[in-house]
Amino acid sequence: MIENKIYFKFDGKTFEGNEGDTIAAALLRNNVKLVGRSFKYHRPRGIYTCGIEEPNALVQIVNEYNEPNVRATVKKIYEGMVIKSQNRWPSLKRDLGSINNLLSPIFSAGFYYKTFMGPKGFWKNVYEPLIRKTAGLGKPPREFKSKSIHLNHNVDIVIVGAGLAGLLAAKKLAGTKYDVLLIERESSLGGIMKNSKKIKFINDQSPNDWVKKTQRLIENSNNIKILKNTLVNTYNFKDHLIALEDRSVGKPQDNNKPELVLHKIRTKQTILANGHIERFISFRNNDLPGVMLAASFEKYIHRYGVVPDESPVIFTNNSSTFSLVKSLIDLGHKPKAYIDIRDQKKIEAEILELLTKYNIPLYAKSEIEGCDGKKEIKRVTIRIKKNETIKIKTSMLCVSGGFNPDIHLFTQSKGLLKWDKDLLTFKPDKIFQNTITLGSVSGNFSYENVLKEVNEKLSFFEGINDLEVKLDIDGPSDFQIKELWETKNLKKSLWSKSFIDLQNDVTTKDLRQAVTEGFNRIEHLKRFTTNSMGTDQGKISSINALGIVSKILKKDISEVGTTTYRPPYAPLNFSAIAGRSTYEFYDPIRKTPIHPWNVKHKAVFEDVGQWKRPWYFKKYEKETMHEAVQRESKQVRKSAGILDGSTLGKIEIKGKDALAFVNLIYTNSFTKMKPMTARYALMLGEDGMVKDDGIVCKINDQHFITTTTTGGASNVLTHMEEYAQTEWPNMNVYMNSITEQFATLNISGPKAKTIMKRVFNNIDFSNERFPFMTFNTFDYLNTKVRILRASFTGEQGFEIYVLPEHALTLWERLFYYSRDLDLVPYGTETMHLLRAEKGYIIVGQETDGTVTPVDLNLNWMIGKNKKDFIGKRSLTRSDIVSSERKQLVGLVPINKAYGIEEGQQVIEEKILETPIKKPIKMLGHVTSSYFSPTLNHSVAMALIKGGNRKIGSQLYVSTSDLNVIPVEVVKPNFIDPKNERLVT
Amino acid sequence: MTRTFLAKGMEIVQHDLQQILIRGKGDGNFADTVNKEVSLLPPKENLRMINNDEFLFAKQSFDQWSLLCLKKKSEKELYRLVSVFNANEEILASDYSNTTYFEISGENKNYYLSKLTHFDLRAKKFPVSTMAQTLIARIDCCLYNLEDKYLLTCHKSYEDYFKDRLQDAIDL
Repeated sequence: MIENKIYFKFDGKTFEGNEGDTIAAALLRNNVKLVGRSFKYHRPRGIYTCGIEEPNALVQIVNEYNEPNVRATVKKIYEGMVIKSQNRWPSLKRDLGSINNLLSPIFSAGFYYKTFMGPKGFWKNVYEPLIRKTAGLGKPPREFKSKSIHLNHNVDIVIVGAGLAGLLAAKKLAGTKYDVLLIERESSLGGIMKNSKKIKFINDQSPNDWVKKTQRLIENSNNIKILKNTLVNTYNFKDHLIALEDRSVGKPQDNNKPELVLHKIRTKQTILANGHIERFISFRNNDLPGVMLAASFEKYIHRYGVVPDESPVIFTNNSSTFSLVKSLIDLGHKPKAYIDIRDQKKIEAEILELLTKYNIPLYAKSEIEGCDGKKEIKRVTIRIKKNETIKIKTSMLCVSGGFNPDIHLFTQSKGLLKWDKDLLTFKPDKIFQNTITLGSVSGNFSYENVLKEVNEKLSFFEGINDLEVKLDIDGPSDFQIKELWETKNLKKSLWSKSFIDLQNDVTTKDLRQAVTEGFNRIEHLKRFTTNSMGTDQGKISSINALGIVSKILKKDISEVGTTTYRPPYAPLNFSAIAGRSTYEFYDPIRKTPIHPWNVKHKAVFEDVGQWKRPWYFKKYEKETMHEAVQRESKQVRKSAGILDGSTLGKIEIKGKDALAFVNLIYTNSFTKMKPMTARYALMLGEDGMVKDDGIVCKINDQHFITTTTTGGASNVLTHMEEYAQTEWPNMNVYMNSITEQFATLNISGPKAKTIMKRVFNNIDFSNERFPFMTFNTFDYLNTKVRILRASFTGEQGFEIYVLPEHALTLWERLFYYSRDLDLVPYGTETMHLLRAEKGYIIVGQETDGTVTPVDLNLNWMIGKNKKDFIGKRSLTRSDIVSSERKQLVGLVPINKAYGIEEGQQVIEEKILETPIKKPIKMLGHVTSSYFSPTLNHSVAMALIKGGNRKIGSQLYVSTSDLNVIPVEVVKPNFIDPKNERLVT
Repeated sequence: MTRTFLAKGMEIVQHDLQQILIRGKGDGNFADTVNKEVSLLPPKENLRMINNDEFLFAKQSFDQWSLLCLKKKSEKELYRLVSVFNANEEILASDYSNTTYFEISGENKNYYLSKLTHFDLRAKKFPVSTMAQTLIARIDCCLYNLEDKYLLTCHKSYEDYFKDRLQDAIDL
């Protein structure tokens, strides 16, 4: 087969790889072993594994927005890819940071906690910046606009892993009534069958042929969907899985296509067939480039056609390495030596036979003491007897310390584990969710038993039959292992280290020190040493750490316990988590029927909830917000202004008990209120605090329409529904949100009535026929409008409710008929200014969930004779009626040239010390402040302690530059206190 | 106005329909009032719907129904219908026409929608003649299963955002 050649750059040098190669495979193909520097000591590091568990080979992809910490063992190369090694300067070979290795004897566990205690201020200004600069992994990526998407799935069964167990499960479920999702992290199915020669034949076919045939069967089944290049990252409650699919595997990212797809999967049953992870063994300098896990070495041979080394040394404590020896021999190579810690009598006959036949030196009952070399391994030291060692020159050492079932997802699902003394590993014990484990993840390391397990564990599914598959296994059929976590270090050099966590540079010495210092609980020890806290979460080493700690503590591993495996299984990009909820889709956007007009007339919008509301309108390009607001508000007071109030919440309430309901929901009394009149109303929570406000329009005792604040609309409806359904279920009352069913045009100003008369020339707007706070419905052209006479500006005002499809036409007509009257469109900022001048509150600005109607001087809105309303009881509590509570007042600067800042504190001190050395008595804070163009000075509202008693006195308001300005406390009503403008 | 979104195996057409949101007990009195006007008895089972040529009637919750006018009515006629329903003191009917209506058809409709909603669209979970109220593109929507197509409705204020999300789901 002719492989397609691909050219890529690593640290500025061009290399050739094959299509389908991972970065690691391609670098090994080019005999590159040094690929990075370690996190803390800047030690040279190589490629340790062949998959997601990789702790060392992390690189930066320069042409992908400088994406950092990419696993070279997972990421596939493509033409033109530019890769850079990490955590080194100026180059990988000559890294100045490696001075840390020379200083490493003092960088023991807890070094930072103990060392950088003082002097004061040094941590922030000296230590932290320095440590951040020298330690760490890759550099942050550049900003880019991701195209990652989310995809939802609802299925009956998810199978995680398409190795032997996963494929057998899928084959069994093919053609059944179940919707199945089969998820494989690699780009092809097969798992161990693609990675090794452990299985010779399946049903007398080569494993490759069987996989292809099975895949075809699954694809044709119509009930199973296969996701490749997809890693299940999270197993949430309840049977909810998150998986990340890389759609740009082996090709450059396309700006028009999603590079990543986050699959959100809801299932009834999860079958975990996600295999196992090989673990290493700790020995002196076990981090040198050239040290690699044995199964990973074999995977490079079979998946990528790369032989990392033709004559490596093999070091093992178990029977699994037979197939690596066999693979090398089949290719015409052979290991330089085979070191097994087991007694020769315990080593499987198949292995001994193979070693003898091919004249491979066997060192039984021996171990690797350590290895040496500068930037890569040059020789290994073998301890053949207690006090006898020999050295062998080699450029590669393959290590197998046994296997861990890949239990991360199982434990994320809150399943419980148990220690297996024979396999020397934790394996699933009790499930917490609907989980089935199959194959090596369940601790079943015998391929011949996998079929039996699949048939047994899946037998409860309806309509499936037992599978019959014949497996021909090459080598020992049973997995045998002897315990070994660490070998004894012969050299006492300060710079020779035996690592337990390669990514975080944690040594076995650190573990001992931590235990000595009292960190004998595994969770404490983990945090003190940072063991298994890297991005690889110690996939190849965490159990080894438990093994070593158990020996130090002289406890059984099962007593030591495991640390918690938390999601995600492997790092995933923030862009994938965000999906499309970024930039223009960051939050849903709501627009009013007037929106196109607002855009055309240069409205600057503000987000109110999800609504786009005009904040102010720019008359000319360079007009500032302050200028625009001053202009708009002056014009409203002088002539008339119009506000797009369509976003205000509107709720229709109807039923036999509507009056009783409204009386309970609001503080006001509506019993004596005449039909077709309106009332400003307050809604409280059970705690007596103001929750929302609005206008209640009474059509009759059985039918009301209320308005709410824009932001509070849905909460108010929910609040009403909750009380109607749970507290007063016997009431006959129903509510509909009609916020969107009517556009609202708020017109106000001294000329408002004139404009209304011109547009609605058949309506009598006289005070006698249309008094303040009344409403009615009128025919208008081919539709109906409801007009309410009310005001939020302190001027004569009308609210016109019209079907949205007619709103824009009516809006334009209002302007047409007021051409000579200077009608101005105004936004929310001007609305705030106008209402503040009048002393009207805004819920959320003058209130914050701790403010009662009494605090706001709105006692008149409380129906004193009402039997009950929500919050009534709370209003009688002693601390609620206390005169020392914060009360709403107005503030006017003594020197009218000064402005008052919103949010500033109101105090009694004339001068503020700089810096402030003693506590200052805060009376309250400024809730609203504006410069009034009508009064030509600032006006503000504030909530201050005992505010009502302080009216007429002088207080001070702090400023952001720690000055104070003197203010006079006044009633919170700055214009037209007699309401003459409202009723003219 | 009708706007069509086309994708491989999916078509989306926007319709200009009308709707009345009805609240009430759903008892005989309720059924009589409604049936007199639309010749349909309200579905009793939650999230079920029935339809004739003119109306689609769906039960959204234990005391809430949506009545969609499949044939355009005059504003006056719609107003009359609402008034007739509201004449029954135990019913609240509100004109709810200011809603956006999309008809989604094609074999891949579930695939595209699965980019926007977690809702289980499989036939065994979302059978024909049922409706759902769920989040689609992070906004509250109603989805009606009309055998070979869906009718999807959402607040009109979201229309532009929703169309952009639909187009985005098609593009990516």
